[in-house]
Amino acid sequence: MRGSYRSGVALILGLSLVLTACTSADDGLEAVEGDPFDEIVLYTTTEAYDPIRYEAAFMVAEAWEELGFQVQVEPTEFATLLERFYDEQDYDATILGWSGRTDRLDPHHFLGTLYGGHTDPGGNNAGGWVNEEFDELFRQQQGEPDEDARRDQVFRMQEIAADEMPVNILFYRDEVVGYNNETFDGFVTLAGEAIYNEWTPYEVTPLTDDTVLTIGTPEEPDTINPLASTSVWGWKFMRMYYDKLVRLTPDVEPEPWAAESIATPDETTVEITLREGMTFHDGEPVTVEDVVFTFDYYIDNEFGYFMPFLSMIDSVETTDDRTVVFNLASPFGPFVNVTLSQIVILPEHIWSDIDNPADLGPDEIPTVGSGPLQFERYDRGEYKSLTVFEDHFTADRFDITGIEFNIYADAEGVFTGLQTGEIDMTAWRLEPGQIPLAEEAPELSVVNAPDFGYYHLTFNTRRAPFDDVDIRRALSHAIDKDTIVDVILDGRGEPGSSVIAPSNPAWHNPDITRYGYDLDRAREILVEAGYGWNEDGLLVIPH
Amino acid sequence: MRTFLISRVLQLLVTFWVIVTVLFFLFRLGLPDPTLALISEGLSPDDRQRVIAQFGLDLPLWQQYLVYLQNLATGELGMSFHYKAPVGDIVFERLANTLILMLPAILLAYGFGATVGTVLAWRRGSRLEGVGITAGLVLRSAPVFWTGMLAIFLFGITLAWLPTSGMRTLPYEETTWIGRVTTWDFLWHLVLPMLVIAAYYFALPMLIMRNTMLELIGEDFIEFCRARGFSERRTMYRHTARNALLPVVTQAAVTTGLAVGGQVVVEVVFSWPGLGREMFQAVRTSDYPVAQASFVMLASMVLVLNFLVDILYSKLDPRVTHAAAKG
Repeated sequence: MRGSYRSGVALILGLSLVLTACTSADDGLEAVEGDPFDEIVLYTTTEAYDPIRYEAAFMVAEAWEELGFQVQVEPTEFATLLERFYDEQDYDATILGWSGRTDRLDPHHFLGTLYGGHTDPGGNNAGGWVNEEFDELFRQQQGEPDEDARRDQVFRMQEIAADEMPVNILFYRDEVVGYNNETFDGFVTLAGEAIYNEWTPYEVTPLTDDTVLTIGTPEEPDTINPLASTSVWGWKFMRMYYDKLVRLTPDVEPEPWAAESIATPDETTVEITLREGMTFHDGEPVTVEDVVFTFDYYIDNEFGYFMPFLSMIDSVETTDDRTVVFNLASPFGPFVNVTLSQIVILPEHIWSDIDNPADLGPDEIPTVGSGPLQFERYDRGEYKSLTVFEDHFTADRFDITGIEFNIYADAEGVFTGLQTGEIDMTAWRLEPGQIPLAEEAPELSVVNAPDFGYYHLTFNTRRAPFDDVDIRRALSHAIDKDTIVDVILDGRGEPGSSVIAPSNPAWHNPDITRYGYDLDRAREILVEAGYGWNEDGLLVIPH
Repeated sequence: MRTFLISRVLQLLVTFWVIVTVLFFLFRLGLPDPTLALISEGLSPDDRQRVIAQFGLDLPLWQQYLVYLQNLATGELGMSFHYKAPVGDIVFERLANTLILMLPAILLAYGFGATVGTVLAWRRGSRLEGVGITAGLVLRSAPVFWTGMLAIFLFGITLAWLPTSGMRTLPYEETTWIGRVTTWDFLWHLVLPMLVIAAYYFALPMLIMRNTMLELIGEDFIEFCRARGFSERRTMYRHTARNALLPVVTQAAVTTGLAVGGQVVVEVVFSWPGLGREMFQAVRTSDYPVAQASFVMLASMVLVLNFLVDILYSKLDPRVTHAAAKG
């Protein structure tokens, strides 16, 4: 019994080899002598962590095998995967992702993942790709004060990257969130953030007597200490009750906020005029000293999370009681859009006495800001709440009186809360199985928000054969992104093209080369580059 | 007795040290670098290095170990990498939340389980026995997340009798922990998860009780009780069951010790803010200090309760003390 099973398998294997060989022959290719490539090990997440990347890896592997490569998919626990990819740089190809965070709407961060200066272990350019023209442009755009000139540079960089294909952008995944359309309407959708963003509180209108918007979430801040939080969920919450000098509009334009106006007399000087009459939630006025204190405090405490936005600052000073001057050591194009829209203003009278702010216990963390909403409470694992701050300069723009967050253990709990009316909206994505249920329910609405974060397949360009651009091009023609999006993502997303996503129209270059799914073209590239197939149908380097 | 106590205490300390050491190295060697997540947050290698130094992870492992032992000896549990806050602040409230869910559940399971076990043994061979054992085993074998979701669906959504998540109705005003758990609203939220856990634990004491009872029923003194004309009820509960209770109590002590870790699955399904969820999260984010503290607490509870049971046994059965003194 067992023997016949084995011989059956052998027969099938043999037949398939013959068939593959025939296919090659049909293409008019003769078998050549040579050494086949080593097996490609393709790393991806475990199915439990992310079934989408897991499935995508097997689809990619199958197509690559059809090209004549030997591929092994290696699903790996997430932190181990990060370690192997970033720290050890020990892989052939890896599928990972970058999340779309507001400050990454500026192209600097994502382009930096391909910059030759970031290839050291732990750096963001784990694929090790170095291109002189790209690197030169990267340095130029960083200090370019003229936005049009910078756009040209950023466009050209995307062209180079798309052509050289060190990293294949697989897809941008939509955020699918839900809300109750009988309790509130007027939700604002932002790319990458869906409806839990800084603008939704201003725009939603209550449809019932309940004027408190209740958000359900399984995600919690790591901490609400502005000198310690290193998570999106910490900062999304804190930026509701702290003010920033600049806010980004839903169209990603900088809007002067706590700053009344912004001037850039030269490329290393930024001058802001502080809005008059602002107060912190404890009644103390917001002064230019608070602003100077905040920036100095972050820099003195070497707060790593903000260092990418602060490291170019040489000094911050006041010239009169309304003006703050930032002197930069080198020009930094994204200073207004990124730095000033990320750093929150802290009250000097509270923080100046705290020497080791990173070590505060949960009950010792100050929560006094000057933002449009006021902190009320946060009980970890259960509940957070904010109320509208009546003395804020935007207070009359609110139709709601406050925001509450019900914290659940998982997305299942959140969805039950949405169904039973406990919450008005979800902060984060619905599970694939919940989407049709939400679509069927008349009182629930589903929002598809495009993301500018992306999932990528990175080649280790330090290693053969991925150091050969033709191999990378051929492999890229063998990635069926349309099917990945249609089948695995159920159509909720977009096939990838550039590190700057189409949902970021100000910086996305729509004219870059796209490597469509085309195995014939892939084989042509390989033939032109001098590769061949042996009699087993495996790709070889001819002798 | 004194030598027995001293030797037991020494054993306890050595066991504790071994557990602490194994946990320390297990997490450090088995879990990936906790600062990896910072790369995805955009930290440069230099800034990440600074965080590593801040956490003390740049020191050689043996040095980290000595620092850890020293801190532990003074009751200092360290700072959580993930929450950037003292571990004690993180875990103690969670521990309280877990215990207030687990203890009533275990009490209920053992009280009810032992009673049912007694009745089943007394009605040996009856239809009731078959039904009881099957029900107990089915509840024990059913995955808790499944019974939990079933309970939520039935009692929470379809019948809408009971709340399905959290410890209380949101929003609320109360700030102290005691204030939170002394309301009707809290008890209301406790019912469903507690019953699900109790249903899971219930089979073990029931079966232990039944088996011990069956051994005792054949003994002479039971015959004697009957011969003296005691009622069935009195013979069953006062004479047989009381003697059969000892192994159940031992098992209860061990179960209670392990209860510190909570029922992770129940805590997730019912969004209960307990320690089990925290332990799971700590391992996932390589938050060594929180993971170590939670597991050390779990181990200490089991050790201490076992120790107490040992002492109790030696009181009840002098042979235990003799054996220890000889060995």
